[in-house]
Amino acid sequence: MRLNERSQLPLVAGISLRYALTYAVLMLLGALFLIPFLWMLSVSLQDAQGMFALPFRWIPDRPRWENYGAALSAVPFGRYLFNTSVITASVLCLTLFSCTLVAYGFSRLRFPGRDMLFAVCISTMMLPGQVTMIPLYMAYARLGWVDTYLPLIVPSLFGSPFYIFLLRQFFLTIFREYDEAALLDGAGRLRIYWSIVLPLARPAIATVTLFCFIGTWNDFFGPLIYLNSPEKATLTLGLNMLKSQVIGSGSVQWHILMAASVLVMLPNIIVFFLAQKQFIRGIQIGGLRG
Amino acid sequence: MTRRAQCLAAAALVLAGCSSGDRKPEVEYNCPANALEIEVLQREITRFEADSGIRIKLNPFSGQDKLYAMMAAGKAPDIFYTSSTMRDRLAAEDRILDLRTVSKGDPLPGRLWPHVILNGTSVDGGWYSLGNWEFTCGVYYRKDLFREAGLSPPDSSWTWDDMVSLARKLTRPPGPDGRGGRYGIFIGSHFVEALELMNGADIPREMLLLRIPAESADLYRRYVALMDEGIMPDLLRMQAMGMQPAQLLENGKVAMLVEAVPNQSLIEAMTAPWGVAPLPRFPGKKPAYFRSASGGLSLSASTRDPGAAWKALKWIVTEASTYQPNPVLRDVDFTGGWEKRYPQLLGSGFRQVWDLSLEHNGGDPRFFVRFSSWTSGPILERLQPLLDQVWARKKPVDSLLAAIPAINSEVRREIAVTSATMTMKPEFREKIEQALKEMHDHSAF
Repeated sequence: MRLNERSQLPLVAGISLRYALTYAVLMLLGALFLIPFLWMLSVSLQDAQGMFALPFRWIPDRPRWENYGAALSAVPFGRYLFNTSVITASVLCLTLFSCTLVAYGFSRLRFPGRDMLFAVCISTMMLPGQVTMIPLYMAYARLGWVDTYLPLIVPSLFGSPFYIFLLRQFFLTIFREYDEAALLDGAGRLRIYWSIVLPLARPAIATVTLFCFIGTWNDFFGPLIYLNSPEKATLTLGLNMLKSQVIGSGSVQWHILMAASVLVMLPNIIVFFLAQKQFIRGIQIGGLRG
Repeated sequence: MTRRAQCLAAAALVLAGCSSGDRKPEVEYNCPANALEIEVLQREITRFEADSGIRIKLNPFSGQDKLYAMMAAGKAPDIFYTSSTMRDRLAAEDRILDLRTVSKGDPLPGRLWPHVILNGTSVDGGWYSLGNWEFTCGVYYRKDLFREAGLSPPDSSWTWDDMVSLARKLTRPPGPDGRGGRYGIFIGSHFVEALELMNGADIPREMLLLRIPAESADLYRRYVALMDEGIMPDLLRMQAMGMQPAQLLENGKVAMLVEAVPNQSLIEAMTAPWGVAPLPRFPGKKPAYFRSASGGLSLSASTRDPGAAWKALKWIVTEASTYQPNPVLRDVDFTGGWEKRYPQLLGSGFRQVWDLSLEHNGGDPRFFVRFSSWTSGPILERLQPLLDQVWARKKPVDSLLAAIPAINSEVRREIAVTSATMTMKPEFREKIEQALKEMHDHSAF
């Protein structure tokens, strides 16, 4: 029997048994996490009774693609998609701008009280959203921002502690010698930020982009609290409108709801696959240095 | 005045005239509507606006957190849904209007069932919410399974013992492959409370402290015995499987099922032949059928035009088609309307179940309704884990009874703090303190 030179474990078809086992476990876990998604996909292609069938049929006899058409027409999907895209794009741009700048300051500049400020910034992560919800709502109401997108977008201009932390950790891994060389060449701090740090921090930026995109796209609570007009709703509110009824005993068209859920999830999946490589690198490196 | 200035003044007058003529009262209605209902409501709102001159702005995104935030910011919607757990508090804090003040001279209160007004009445005698929906409950059964077993379907005279006996006969053990088994009956734990009433338990409204009458304890033991005997599925297993009750009946996993009447999703999901019977009676006990009373629509105390808000509320309850036919109205043929919408209800027993619940209205004994809104939270956070253990058959019913004094002692402390610290109208504070005093020496607590 051939053995792997390093681990001395047997090789199966030229592959180390250790790797084969690792991949088998990972594939099993991956499949486990995929089950809810596959279930949703399967229900979205069945009729109204499909979800209740026992035993559950994973592959429908005749896929009902028309459920997707029904989902698109059950709520003003295009309108909600546009609203969600506007909010997500705005939040993404402002978050990246503010968080990279603050993280750059915390990682590259030396000033009195820097570490304490960073600790204060990080500690705001401990504040549950419920604590700040009413004071924030009152402030936004006073500004006349309720039932507009401003309460959902403007706060991202002030950074998010988690993203700042993630970016700072990554920025710390970039050699300071680059900065020093640029300073000698006459570059200012903002030039270094723009021309050296940001291009080198692409994996971390991709990670933040992905987290921020998914968080904003899927946000339900923020739009629920601040929006009142049906025409301003986001996709998550639209999904909820498919579910809720004026009268409690009303029936829910689960197959249509699942089709709509798949449609709402699609951009998340696409963005994840596009940013996958950078995202994994960002997570790996961002978590290395404290 | 120059000619130009005269022209400008005239134009300003015309503009001012236009804007004041268009200033209709606006009422914001916060309702948990789905997309279809919003579409229908929007269309009808336009007609209502043309007839009444009142604009209704629909805000379909609702939730308790949102409502409290809106209230704190002084932006409460004019009409919103209040559950029994929040209504008294909001009334005590003077955040919702006493509907008696706005409905003076209006014929609508006379068109409502008296219990509908009572359900929205708080301890100070004020009427704070108008129920916009009601339901009762009954035992749905599979006609074909009864026929197959040679059994007669239940009627209004059947008793708990009859139900148990039928359940035994309808129960089938699973085959060698573990499939094909059937349970005789399934009663969700939230319907046990309705059966406590049928067993003669005296459950008054607005209880401040926990009390479990002997009849309730007896019913709990009978309920657990159904699982012990294997004629009802285990509740924990049911929860783990995430089964929908309608799914159980449709698939023949159970032959009888206690559920809400009417239940739109069950009616639409069922393809097998089914009927519905009233809840079983208990020998020697007067029937007292469940009738829901958990919430309704309230008017915000900060509404700018209470008259317009009342008119809009009245229109929602009596005319908006999404709520019609409305069971809270006496002069409306509710059962006929539902039979017209769902012809499968004809001859199903629906009409009899409904009529009996009106004739012998036992009220709403659900745990979150039977306690006052000041104490339902503190009581339930202590009682519910114990109840769950009893239903899971990990603890005996007697452990519940033994826990009552400790629970009440903690709740009494909490309510005393609430009474001392909460800003509320004097009549509410007086009632709470009086109730606490009366209960202090009462043996039941």
